[in-house]
Parts: sequence; C-alpha cells; structure tokens
Amino acid sequence: MSPTTQTLLVDGHVVELRPGDTILNAANRADVSIPTLCHDPRLKPVGACRTCLIEVEGARRLLPACATPATEGMKVNTESERVDRHRKTLLALYLTDHDGTQEHGQGGAPNQLASMAREVGAPTDWGQLPSKRRGSIKDDNPYILFDPDQCIACARCTRYCDEVESVTAITLAGRGSETTISTADGISLLDSTCEMCGGCIDTCPTGAMTERKAAEVQAPPESDLTKVRSTCNFCGVGCQLDLNVDPAANDGRGLVVKVTSPPVGTTSNDGNLCVKGRFAYEFINHEDRLTTPLIRDADGVLQPASWEAALAATSQGLAGVMERHGKNALAFISSSRCTVEENYLVQKLARQGYGTNNVHQCSAT
Amino acid sequence: MTNSIQEIRDADFLLVIGSNTSEAHPIIAMEMKRAVHRGATLVVVDPRAVWMTTISEHHLQIKPGSDVWLLNAMAHVIISEGLVADEFVTQQTENFESVKAAVKDYTPEAAEAFTGIAPDLLRKVARQYASTPKAGIYYTLGITEHSHGTDNVYALANLVLMTGHLGQPSSGMNPLRGQNNVQGANDAGATPVFYPGYQMVDDPKVQRHFEEAWDCELDPEPGLNLNEMMQTMGESIKGIFVMGEDIVLSEPNAHHLEAALAGVEFIAIQEPFPNETMRFANVVFPSAVFAEKDGVFTNSERRVQLVRQAVAPPGEARQDWRILSDLAKAVGLDWNYESPAEIYAEMAALTPQFKGISHERLGEIQADGMTGIQWPCPTSDHPGTVYLHGDGIMRGKGLFQAVTYRPPMEVPDKDYGLFLSTGRTLYHYNAATQTRRESGPVAKQPEAFVEIHPRDAKERNIQPGDQVRISTRRGHIDVIAIVSRQVRPGCIWTPLHFAEARANLLTNDEGDPVTGTAEFKVCAAEVTRLGEGKDLASIFRGNYYSTAGPSQ
Repeated sequence: MSPTTQTLLVDGHVVELRPGDTILNAANRADVSIPTLCHDPRLKPVGACRTCLIEVEGARRLLPACATPATEGMKVNTESERVDRHRKTLLALYLTDHDGTQEHGQGGAPNQLASMAREVGAPTDWGQLPSKRRGSIKDDNPYILFDPDQCIACARCTRYCDEVESVTAITLAGRGSETTISTADGISLLDSTCEMCGGCIDTCPTGAMTERKAAEVQAPPESDLTKVRSTCNFCGVGCQLDLNVDPAANDGRGLVVKVTSPPVGTTSNDGNLCVKGRFAYEFINHEDRLTTPLIRDADGVLQPASWEAALAATSQGLAGVMERHGKNALAFISSSRCTVEENYLVQKLARQGYGTNNVHQCSAT
Repeated sequence: MTNSIQEIRDADFLLVIGSNTSEAHPIIAMEMKRAVHRGATLVVVDPRAVWMTTISEHHLQIKPGSDVWLLNAMAHVIISEGLVADEFVTQQTENFESVKAAVKDYTPEAAEAFTGIAPDLLRKVARQYASTPKAGIYYTLGITEHSHGTDNVYALANLVLMTGHLGQPSSGMNPLRGQNNVQGANDAGATPVFYPGYQMVDDPKVQRHFEEAWDCELDPEPGLNLNEMMQTMGESIKGIFVMGEDIVLSEPNAHHLEAALAGVEFIAIQEPFPNETMRFANVVFPSAVFAEKDGVFTNSERRVQLVRQAVAPPGEARQDWRILSDLAKAVGLDWNYESPAEIYAEMAALTPQFKGISHERLGEIQADGMTGIQWPCPTSDHPGTVYLHGDGIMRGKGLFQAVTYRPPMEVPDKDYGLFLSTGRTLYHYNAATQTRRESGPVAKQPEAFVEIHPRDAKERNIQPGDQVRISTRRGHIDVIAIVSRQVRPGCIWTPLHFAEARANLLTNDEGDPVTGTAEFKVCAAEVTRLGEGKDLASIFRGNYYSTAGPSQ
C-alpha cells in the first residue's frame, strides 16, 4: 500500500478506498457481509429498506451502508449491540406485514426476508398488521406473476425496469401502506411497454415477482431443484443461465421448470436475461419434437425407421450421389445453432469422409 | 468483436449502425443503455426508428443501401478537418493514401442526395466519433447483408483505423453475432475456405497438417459458400446433408430454391422440430436441443463457454455430435468419440488459438463462479484475450481499403416502388421453430406484419391493420399492415420469422462478390391492399412499433 493510499476501517479491517466507494462496497471487498434487501449492484442505491444500517464512529445515527459514501479514515462497525437491536426490530416490523414462515414465494422463489429474519433471530410474535397492498388481478401475461403479499415495496423491480431494461413498464403506485407495484393505469403487462425480460423477477428479494409458469405447476423450492449452468441458445451474446431442473419429472427425463440468471458480476450478462433466454424454454419439452428417425418411402411419405436403417440410407444416399456426380456434388450445411464440437465434426465428415470443402453454415446469411 | 461486452458500459461514444440492438441483442443493448445513462453519446444509423433511437443523441435515418456514402463522407470530414490520428496511422497502418484519395469527393453535401442526412449533422457525428477516445462501433447484418456488405465493413474499418480507435478498452470495431454460435461454427472450420482456426484450405502446409492428423487426402480447392450452394442447388449440387438449419425458410429467393431442391437426389437433415426443409428430405434424424447436450458455444466476444446437459432428449432423439459420429461409423470412418470434451481436445490440438482451452479448464472456471475463456488462448496457463490488437494490430499493419459506392442490386422502379428490408424482432428467433411454440412471444407477436409509412399507406388506400400483399419479382406474401413512422417514406420492413409469410420468398439472392452473403436488407417491392382490417392493438399488444408516432 503506497503512503498516499486512502483507507477506512471496517470491523477493524483496513480497506483501501476506491473512487465512488460506498461503505457497502468497501465492506464487501473486506469480506464483511452486511445484510441488504433493496440493494442491487446494477442499480443506483436508494437506502430504502434500512436493513444495511451500520455504525460509523462519530455519527449520531445509524447510516445505510449502501447509500453512504466511504471516506478517508472512516471507522465502521457492522456488528454491535445497537446494530443487532436495530436489525431485529426492523425485521420483526417487516414480518408483521409478511408471513415470515414462508421461506419461498410462489413457484419456489427464495424469500430473503424470511431467511434474514431467521438468521438475525428477529421476533416473530409481534402480531400481524397486513397492508392493503393489491396486485393487478387482470394481468394475463404468461410469464410474470406479482404476489402483493410478499412485496416489501423496496422498488428493486421498478428501478430495474427504469435503470437497466429502460422500458419503465412498472412503477410504484399508491401511497403509504397501500404502495404497490403496477403498470401505468393498471393495464396488463402485455399491453404495456414491458418486454418481458423478467429482470424484475431476478432482482426481487422476496419472491413477490416470480415466474408464473413455475407457480402454475407448483414447482418445488429452488433449493430442491438441480441448477445446471449453461449458455443460452438464442443470439450471439452468450448469456449464462441456470436451467433449474426437476430431475424426477417427465418420467425421469428431467424437466426444466424455470431459468434463472447467475449472480450479478460473475458473467458477461451480469445477471440479466431477455424474454427468450429467461422464458423461452417450453420448446424443450414440446409435443412437436421429432422423436424417431424418418425415411421417405416409395410413396413419398416420411415413415418412422430405426437408427440403423436411417444411418444406412444416408450412407448409401450420399455415396450414390458421389458415384454418379463426383464428390463436389455434395454439400454439407452445418449450423451456428449447434455446438463447436458438432460443427467440427460436420466439416471433418465432409473433408475426411467425402473429400469436399463444400461445407458452410448460415453465418453467410 | 474486438472489445468485450462488459467494456460497452464504459464507452463514451457508441456508433450503432445496422443493428436493432435492443431486439436482436437485448443484453448488449442493456450495456449500451447503461453507458447512455452514465452520459455516453449514442448515435444510431438505421433506416428505421428502432427502439435504441429513443435514447440516442442522433438518429441518422439513412436511405437503405447508402452506407458507403455515409461512411466515406464521415471519413472525408475526419480527413479534411485534420482529425486523423496521425501517429497511429503512420506507425500501425498502411495504404491510407488510397482511402484519402477515394473519399476526396465524398463531401457531406454530395452525400445528402444519397443518404438523406443533413451535412451539418453528418459533420457533427464524424467529429464526435473522431475526437472521443473511448469510441466504439457496433454493427450487425444491416451492414453485411448487402451486395456491398464487404465494402460497408471496409468503410467502417477505415474510420476505425484513421481515428486509432483500436486496441484499447471500449474502443474498437464490434460486429454483434446473430446466432449463439456463429463465432464457434466459423472457428470450428465449418466454412468452405478454412480448416478449424481460420487455417486456409489452399495452403499446402495446412493441408498436410490436417492430412496427417486425419489420415486422409484432402482437397486443396476451396468449396462453395452457402449462397453458391443454394444457387447451384439441383444443378451441380445433387446431395445435401443439413444439420440444424431450415434452408427453405432462411435462405433468400425461396421459390427458386424449392424448385431447385426437386432436382437434388438425396437430402438428409438432422433437426429437433419439423421444419420447411423436411418436406424435401429423404432421411430425417431427430436431434437434441441445447439443454440436452454438452459442448461449447463461442459468443460474439470470442468467449468459449460450456453448454451442459440438463435433461435427456425425448424418445430416440440423439445429440447432433452422436448422430454425426454414428454416421461416420456407418460410412466406414474410424470415429470413436465418447464425449464432446474429447472432440474439443482434438480440435484444440490442431489450432494455435484454441490450444489452451479445454472442457476441463472451462469447468474449473465455472466452478469458480466465472465463465469462459476468450480466444486467442495459446497455452493452458494463458488467461485468454479480452480485447484484440492490444499489442499492436494483429496482421502487423492495419490495412486501409478504399471503397466506392455501388447501388444495391435492385432499387425501386415503377412496378415495385418501395424499398423492402427484412429483419428480426425481439420476440422471435430465426425460423421461429422454437419461439412460435412459446406462450409469451405468441401473445406479443402472433402474426407477420409489414411496417409502411403513412404517406405510402395513404397512396395505396391502406388502413392500419389491413390485410396486404407484399410482392417482389421473386414472390409475394400476405401480412398485416402496421402504418408507422418507424420507417422512412418509400421504405417498408417485414420480419423474417413467419413460415406462413416467408420474407425470403421476397428477398434477393444476389450476393456480395466477396462473401456471397445475399442482399436480405434491400430489394424493390410493392404493397397492395387485400382486405378489411383487424384491430392492431389486440394483435400486437403493447407494441413499441405501433401506429402512433411523432407527427410529421
């Protein structure tokens, strides 16, 4: 550390100060964990949920770590009797408006409020004072479900919609305890500017915004599903996604019950997905899938066939063309939808098997 | 891309040309939006008022096919106003003089007649681009799908080179790849001119290298590119093997292609879903989709990333790599691949830029919560390459290529009075065999449509929502009319996704002389009214490309 380096102290750890640092950023770098609900690194901090309040020496009140700039020489305590008392009180108050026994939202989405309250040991016996928050019951969009009972009005979803996706389809509506999430005039998301990227679901800390399809099939909690990290098969951005699989479903073949995005800051897509990446997975298990090889019969009709017969017919078909017209009468059309390995094999088959360089794929178009 | 996706957010100037980014590459658009929110300047060049123009500082709504005029005129401004990065040009490039001479007469004033862009605006954009250090160019098929697509790319590269916007973060030349694995398919050598890793098939040394590796004799003559295959279909091409592409839906001038396929003696396809090409196939193999297989895709930023099997394929369907291995065995080749990891290892050993990449290494990176390796990656301890040309231009000297304007192969005339352009939408994908089986896209965008300017609609007595016919010299399709100011007067636009209204019955298969890429983006067309309208708002719900628009 050079003598000009500016530092602060977080729970006794010396942390180097970086331009634009908040206390939360600095603490994260020192591996000091501060609980948050309304914070998302993709969004401007708003300090709305108050779960990240911590002590700064010399400050009279507790300060929100997410929204307070870190400064040279600052001494921060994230664990103290006072901070602990604050967290317990705050979360107990949240629980009076929310069922703290629900570890998951509809469709199995994790509820960080419930898990945080449990970890902090917040009292759960302060009674119930449910707010009059309402959802938009007429919304007929197939993908995004809003459950007002789980909402803590932290506005992560609406801020994501403004700041990241920038379509401003949803907004905070109402006042006080009736504050809720809505489209303008309460119209269906389908009729709004929503592009169904599902970022609202990704950022929601409590499962209030959740996948409608997973809710409809009463998917098990996400923690009980197998998450398989893979690469999206649509455009060329290469977003990373987690296929959430129920391995026992579908007669043991396994079923993708939802797609979630990897944590913010880990992959090129930074936790974001689009409508296709997050929701267009119904095709995998679609009834129209081809499930058996087909060979065209003498009457010109495609008939189911065995693999052996289809492979033999292809081998003969291609060999016949080569005998009659030469190797360059063959063309191999590969696919930019398939994997690198599969493309490698197509060109190797054309070149090694048939001696032709007539191999290409749709990147020419 | 010479830059990486995460560098976009730090750019200060973004020139987005021929890219409907928020629909075709939504996640890259989010990075651009982030840059704009941060204060970056976004300039969109597109004949359509695509969504990105709602947050751009300038929208250059050029006439279709006039890109070379626009870009050469920008070069003209940069040169004549002394904004050239002299040191970079002297040290790192060659052939600048030819471009200087070529753009001499491309004044902004002369350009206006072709592009429709006011000279002052063009000057301003050229100055902003040249004088902003972190300036990136982003383009897609709006640049390349022209008979002068190569010229467009050269003209863009000339701008990059003369301003030295290369070899630094957030500053470069970034084609955004359309399909998940366009980069990877080319990397793997599925092209008529390259073996894996862009090693030329007509280089005898390379040929020997692969002959030894594969124990066979190889052809030194480059093969046919896709467009040439399509044009010689049924004539010299008599047998085809197609993996995972619906050529009948996706290739231009489809009527001609369908007739030609009748002259092909044998067609085998491997596909997960029934498609249009299947009507012509002799053998169909049922294949697996991405969630059912292992392997890698390589994205636009050259990042090699794992694809992992999550569920089993239905019925007897098999992964494409298994089908190919099985077929190779059936034709007598000695292939015994047990896994995609093994196949990748074979390819990596034959290609210098992928040598350091393996499934094992990618798995370790993934286990650490990160993702992929960007090639070039020559050794197993090399970290990969975030942006290209960082240590000086890779070919040694950046080569300027002077280009001159050539009009599109087909322009409007008295019979076909409109410019037709085609493209993608947010909700569908290519031949839409997947997305038209998805509830959301179907709810948002159930049918094909054409965008037509109110003036052109009025001349043709077309009301919003009317059923109309788009005709070109090659065919016609029937769609719903969206009367919209998103398009310029004299221009129409239709999406390519709908099998019952195939845009490629209309498009021109005349190709770029270098790449063979067909001119999907411009041809001459006419629109006629067929019948009574439907309520647009109930068909295309919440559509940004609505009938409403700023009055003009």
